Amino acid sequence: MSVRIRFFAQFGELFGTEIIQESVPGTTFTGLIMEIAAKNKEGYDAIFDKNGAFLDFVILMKNGKRLDNADAGKTRIADGDEIAVFPPVAGG
Amino acid sequence: MLSGLEHERYKRQMILFGEDGQERLKDAHIFIAGAGGLGSPVSIYLAVAGVGTITLVDRDVVDRTNLNRQILHSDCDTGRKKTASAHEKLCGINPDITINVVDTTIDKKNALKLVGDADAIVDAMDNFPTRYILNDVAIKKKIPLFHGGIRGFYGQAATIIPGETACFRCIFPKAPPKEVFPVVGVTAGVIGSIQATEVLKYLLRSGELLTNRLFIWDGMRSHADEIQVRRIPGCVACGSIKGLKRKRK
Repeated sequence: MSVRIRFFAQFGELFGTEIIQESVPGTTFTGLIMEIAAKNKEGYDAIFDKNGAFLDFVILMKNGKRLDNADAGKTRIADGDEIAVFPPVAGG
Repeated sequence: MLSGLEHERYKRQMILFGEDGQERLKDAHIFIAGAGGLGSPVSIYLAVAGVGTITLVDRDVVDRTNLNRQILHSDCDTGRKKTASAHEKLCGINPDITINVVDTTIDKKNALKLVGDADAIVDAMDNFPTRYILNDVAIKKKIPLFHGGIRGFYGQAATIIPGETACFRCIFPKAPPKEVFPVVGVTAGVIGSIQATEVLKYLLRSGELLTNRLFIWDGMRSHADEIQVRRIPGCVACGSIKGLKRKRK
């Protein structure tokens, strides 16, 4: 299956702003992002904690809707889904 | 009632929203939290637009490292209180409005009193803990909060109407880690201008506000995007409140 993933702000610098990821059906949201981050330690550490869960401030979106970080590990991704991963920016 | 000088000053924008609109701006009181990167363009644009009363709060002194983005302050202001520098500049920009400045740190104890009778709050802070305090005050007073945040060439903005739209904590339940963030003045200019635009639209009761949407700016790609956001049932900040009681002036 093919999934469009958008990374915003500094996550875009680490992974690219928009990528198409080929993955096996049944992959979870967390699993999909891990597949990408596995090749990129700096990126992985910016998104995941040491237990492999999304850092609590990272914002996740699936098909335009907010996804609770606690649900990312059990949310299955389907062919054609669009997902987004976004870090809030704090400066002023 | 607008004076002859005010008619002249605001002539080009009164073509857009008329004398009634200009009076609405004149009657308004906007609280701006921070006189730094975002606070600079927000306060300058609200001042030139003729917002009648602006209260600006900041605790810092002007440092040379601020000058790449904090356009209220000049090289000769280095070492001065930002509030003193801001007061001087804004009074010079528009002597027909009232500028209040308060040199203090916004905290849980003083925030409600500092905001006072302001009609809205502009978040021009550089940290999440203070933003959560401003969000709580906006909810308690049932006044809008205009959020902005920047990092490098990236920025975000959202307008929060307590009880009606997603609040700051609905959008950002958890704060990102503290950091010395990279920043460039133009990003503060883009996001601060959006915040000021939102304030004007709110006061003028026109246009479509940036509510339930998080605006995202990527200056490196010159790309604007938005994420739909919504109120979180049971939000610890706004979960128990209903819509705005106070009507817009």
